[in-house]
Amino acid sequence: MSSDVKTPTWKEALLEPLIANNPVMVQVLGICSTLAVTSSMKTAFVMGISVTAVTALSNAAVSYTRNYIPSSVRIIAQMTVIASLVILVDQILRAFAYDLSKQLSVYVGLIITNCIVMGRTEGFALKYPPLPSFMDGIGNGLGYTIVLCVIATVREILGSGSWFGLTILPTVNNGGWYVPCGLMVMPPCAFFLVGLLIWAVKTYRKELIEPAEYDTHREDY
Amino acid sequence: MLKLNKDSVVGTFTIILGFCLVCSVLVSSAVVALDPFKAAALANDRQVSILRVSGYEVQGTVAQTYEAHIQAQLLDTETGKLVPEMQAEADGYNFVSSAKNPQTNVVIPSDEDIAGIRVHSKLMPIYFAHDEDGKVSRVILPFYGAALWSTAYGYVAVDPDGNTIKAVTFYQHGETPGLGGEIDNPRWQALWVDKKIEDADGNLAFTIVKNADHSGDRKDYEVDALSGATLTTNGIRHAAQYWLGTVYKPFLDQLRKGEILK
Repeated sequence: MSSDVKTPTWKEALLEPLIANNPVMVQVLGICSTLAVTSSMKTAFVMGISVTAVTALSNAAVSYTRNYIPSSVRIIAQMTVIASLVILVDQILRAFAYDLSKQLSVYVGLIITNCIVMGRTEGFALKYPPLPSFMDGIGNGLGYTIVLCVIATVREILGSGSWFGLTILPTVNNGGWYVPCGLMVMPPCAFFLVGLLIWAVKTYRKELIEPAEYDTHREDY
Repeated sequence: MLKLNKDSVVGTFTIILGFCLVCSVLVSSAVVALDPFKAAALANDRQVSILRVSGYEVQGTVAQTYEAHIQAQLLDTETGKLVPEMQAEADGYNFVSSAKNPQTNVVIPSDEDIAGIRVHSKLMPIYFAHDEDGKVSRVILPFYGAALWSTAYGYVAVDPDGNTIKAVTFYQHGETPGLGGEIDNPRWQALWVDKKIEDADGNLAFTIVKNADHSGDRKDYEVDALSGATLTTNGIRHAAQYWLGTVYKPFLDQLRKGEILK
């Protein structure tokens, strides 16, 4: 809105959130669903694609109408758009991927409450034109998908001995040698993996480390 | 929009109303347009669930296997007799919606309603699994009941002797994954296999309890409860006991006497 802020090009809007401003690793949004749906690749991938579609389309829709949305009820207007799109995604999954929609159960509906979607419409789409907003939605969705897939890869291989349902490590239950790591199937383990991932990314890209807000060695707080 | 001040009261209401209109048209048209696809997906899912407890492996497509091995019948739960003249409607008979219709339901007396469902359909679809020669190998009965967060729906397959459970599956529930959701765990479901519904005196004996008897004289009737999911397990136990011990009892009694399958 203010002209002194430069509108990001669509390329920047698309590429920035993949790693440098990743919604999960850097913005730390959408953690709840990251824990919930990453026990297998299939659910993680479908969830990632669904979130990407919802974020991109809601960003575009909000951005198109950004000059008409009354600021007093802008959150409600955004929620209406997001909720409608999520119902749409849920219906499509039920019609064409019923099994997956059963596995994802409530989490598809809960995309509505995924902070990434709301965060991007409020933080980006309300300020910038439709094309960069749409790309920002895609970028953030893909950034989320990447993290989901990395975590799901580790969890599914170590937890179930498979990847996308294909057997990688034959498990003892199926006559193989691999004893699955039970912790990997439980949601809390994704929390550790997200932590490790953030650590790894910030070790590799030092510029992402936030300045310390306090110094633990000072005693005069 | 030209004259309308978007931040005035009228403007705010108009714009939000417009938003809601557009969104509701979008959502409702999608729901209606996708309806046939959803129905097909649901039918396929039902066939998969029924085949899972039927003991027959899917060969070719699900629909082919289903066609070859499953025959649906409607059961009058009050008399325990089949209703052959309505057999055409049996496959996929919607017992959930007919449970809501006062003409086609049975109101459960509250002291009997252990499954917490208040009403059930008078007619229930049941499925006979048979081999290539038409010999019935299992009878598959739908059952449901209030678990912790949701109503859990499942199928239980009973041996033609009318008293031995051969398999169980749940096709719809909203229990917590990892806790109550473990009712989907095949290893838990395997515990149901070969359990007896009634004891030798004809009393309902099947149950799901903590520290189930594995070696004593109750070992044929007790399934281990799921740890961390007491309330879900209670719901499932009540559902199974209510349906097998009350609703299907007239039918199962006749099955035991050999009056259904000749």
